[in-house]
Amino acid sequence: MAGSTILEAKNIYKSFSGVPVLQDVHFEVKAGEVHALMGENGAGKSTLIKIITGVYSKDEGQIEWEGKPVEIRNYQDCQKLGVACIYQELSVIPPLTVAQNVFLGREPRIGPFINYAKMNKMTQELIDRYQFPLKPTTVVDNLGIGQRQLIEILKGLSQNSKLLIMDEPTASLSGKEAEMLFKIIQKLREQGVSIIYISHRLEEVYMLSDRLTILRDGKNAAVLEKEEIIPAKVIETMIGKVVDESAGSRKMLHSDDSAPVALDVKGLTDATDRFRNISFQVHKGEILGFGGLIGAGRTEVVRAIYGIDKAAAGEVTLDGKKLSPSPKASIRAGIGFVPEDRRNQGFIPLLSTTKNVALTNYDIVKKNGLAISDGDELDMSKRAIQAIDIRPSDPDKQVGVMSGGNQQKVVLGKWLMRDLKLLIVDEPTAGIDVGAKDEIYSILEKLASEGVAVIVVTSDLQELLRVSHRILVMRKGDIVREFKNEEVTQSKVLAAGQGVTEEEAK
Amino acid sequence: MKKMNQTTMRRLISVGMLAVLVILFTILAGAGKGNFLHFDNLIEIVRDASIPAIIGVGVTFIIITAGIDLSTGSAMALVGMVMANIYEYTLWPFKVMVLCGILVGILCGLINGIIVAKLHVPEFIGTLATMSVYRALTYIIAIKDANGVIQSEPMTHSQYVWLGYGIGKFYYLIMVMLVVVVIGQIILRYTRYGTNLYSVGASKKAATLSGINVERVQMVAYIFTGFTVAIGAIFTTARLQSATTAIGTNFEFNPIAAAVVGGVALSGGSGDVIGTLIGALFMATLENGVRKLDMNTSYQYIIKGIIIIAVVIFDAVYKSRIDKAAKEQGAKEGLE
Repeated sequence: MAGSTILEAKNIYKSFSGVPVLQDVHFEVKAGEVHALMGENGAGKSTLIKIITGVYSKDEGQIEWEGKPVEIRNYQDCQKLGVACIYQELSVIPPLTVAQNVFLGREPRIGPFINYAKMNKMTQELIDRYQFPLKPTTVVDNLGIGQRQLIEILKGLSQNSKLLIMDEPTASLSGKEAEMLFKIIQKLREQGVSIIYISHRLEEVYMLSDRLTILRDGKNAAVLEKEEIIPAKVIETMIGKVVDESAGSRKMLHSDDSAPVALDVKGLTDATDRFRNISFQVHKGEILGFGGLIGAGRTEVVRAIYGIDKAAAGEVTLDGKKLSPSPKASIRAGIGFVPEDRRNQGFIPLLSTTKNVALTNYDIVKKNGLAISDGDELDMSKRAIQAIDIRPSDPDKQVGVMSGGNQQKVVLGKWLMRDLKLLIVDEPTAGIDVGAKDEIYSILEKLASEGVAVIVVTSDLQELLRVSHRILVMRKGDIVREFKNEEVTQSKVLAAGQGVTEEEAK
Repeated sequence: MKKMNQTTMRRLISVGMLAVLVILFTILAGAGKGNFLHFDNLIEIVRDASIPAIIGVGVTFIIITAGIDLSTGSAMALVGMVMANIYEYTLWPFKVMVLCGILVGILCGLINGIIVAKLHVPEFIGTLATMSVYRALTYIIAIKDANGVIQSEPMTHSQYVWLGYGIGKFYYLIMVMLVVVVIGQIILRYTRYGTNLYSVGASKKAATLSGINVERVQMVAYIFTGFTVAIGAIFTTARLQSATTAIGTNFEFNPIAAAVVGGVALSGGSGDVIGTLIGALFMATLENGVRKLDMNTSYQYIIKGIIIIAVVIFDAVYKSRIDKAAKEQGAKEGLE
């Protein structure tokens, strides 16, 4: 089925501000194969793809297309070769028809006028050839996300693309839409189109791919042929056997059930089915870790608990009192929330540390009549700066210009000023340097030792093991595994998140 | 069952609103001579709608790209005043004067285009600024008497006055309006540029990825609007047989309102020129009917305001529904 090599990346090196991201990476795609690319977060998958599509330039190495060395400086270069990238963020134009989208900017014309008859016919021919469930004249407005994705694929094919790159294509698709996509992928392969398939989801990779390249820490970890793609082997390769033996990748969990329950979640269900019937408890002084793949529904669950998104069903109680779902009520009840997207949701970049710390605390800042007491506001921010060593220690410093670690400390700092019962942190150390990470872990541990219940959502397995007293793993909107008072390893967590049973994983 | 898209639904709503208004005024203001439904009055309504409709074609292009132009009223006054100066101080033939007027209109559009597309100034603030500048220039070049008092310049060139009439009741203005609307609609629906306008309005990023030159698409829309502004100015001065500094004061509201009522979403990416014509007719009918009923004319502005807010809310609600429906549809659909 698979033929000659169509794309080969040799000895690719890339580093960002001195930090190596890719080291001597080889990657080869043959004609007519579905080649999966896997690796943990930060393994270098996106960087490699961005080098192939001309978004980044490589530091060293060579890319060959059909055996000839090529320079890809931008996305246009890559399109000219016959490579099309199906972006996660779809770029279809909703008010136009399917055919208009496929031939956007390249419409066949008679004189100055678009030849709609010819354009629709050409689109229909493509649709027939690959048997897509689309009609050329349908307005995209009326189509589902999955069909919109097919339009993008069609657009690539209309430019005679020989290689399609799909980055987490099923991330925003429903089950049925994903099935439709898988059938299309099979058909494309039969027609000799090559596909690079990037996914976190092992079952998809297992089902679809002819070969699998695994990256780990910016290096080639393995290239597996179809028959070698066995869940246990893949997980082991992704994490690294040696790493799994070392400290930090296994841990004996201990949690104290005798402590009173702080948070009790019963039957929490999302209105758009991103999570279902979620029930769990967090005890006072406990750090509960949430593991699972990106898109498993963890962020959505904690957002619902905090009251940003309203759940369709379920009940949340804190210290025995029922919570009404709104951030304001949650804050008043003693919940702190550190969101995933720090820059856009965590703080106000243009405001100072003082203003950012005060923002959620104006109910407890002293007032002079109607006016806020500047003195008390400043006092509060000084206490926060001192408590967790925010640098620079100038309370008037704009938070936007600080380092990621200190920005996160400001976000945490504002919650420390309150009488906190529960703190929820979502990806607390994403994009933060190692030193600051440790500081943030000790802040969380200190809070727990003072009796605060803490929920940590993280995709960083090492982090999950490091901070958690107990771990829940989510998969496709359900809690699938609890690790409690037992030894846990990175592989076990990853296997649970992938839906691989522990027997298979051994 | 085939689902209706936003364009079709908004077309039905705007036609429906116009029909309701016509029926309402027919009942309230009668059908006889001198009354609402008389032929002369209906022609009068179409004539009143013509200038907002002509300029509305250009403004529709801009709003489809998710932009806006607040300077059309001031630019109209400036075009008129430049022509008045040529009329007063030169012996240039009529055609050259009109040509200069058109060039000034295009120049105003070009400046707006550079500010918005090349310098990336937000459309609203950029054209708000040129609205002020063009009006000020009009005052500066206005024709003044020995004491420096601004005079209204009578423009009684025979060919010029001729533009204000037509073949019987069928005014030249109405004919020009219909031509501009038809050309506008053909550009939107049948040329690559038209498709590009919708693409830019729906997603600048997606348009760029498809190889569309977003800046150029925006630029051309503003220049074209400048051209329609010049046509509007020529007919306005011809009808008034004079140019004044007050021409087009608060006019910028009209083409925008016509477009919005006619189904052009301010968020960009939808609507068309036929819709804008219906919107302009709606506005003119409203004005006319309120006058016929001897109501305080201020009421029409309240009604206009309420209707615009209502259709904008409709667009916003509709847009959020679309995303939800698309997700639900996707969840249901498999391959077959």
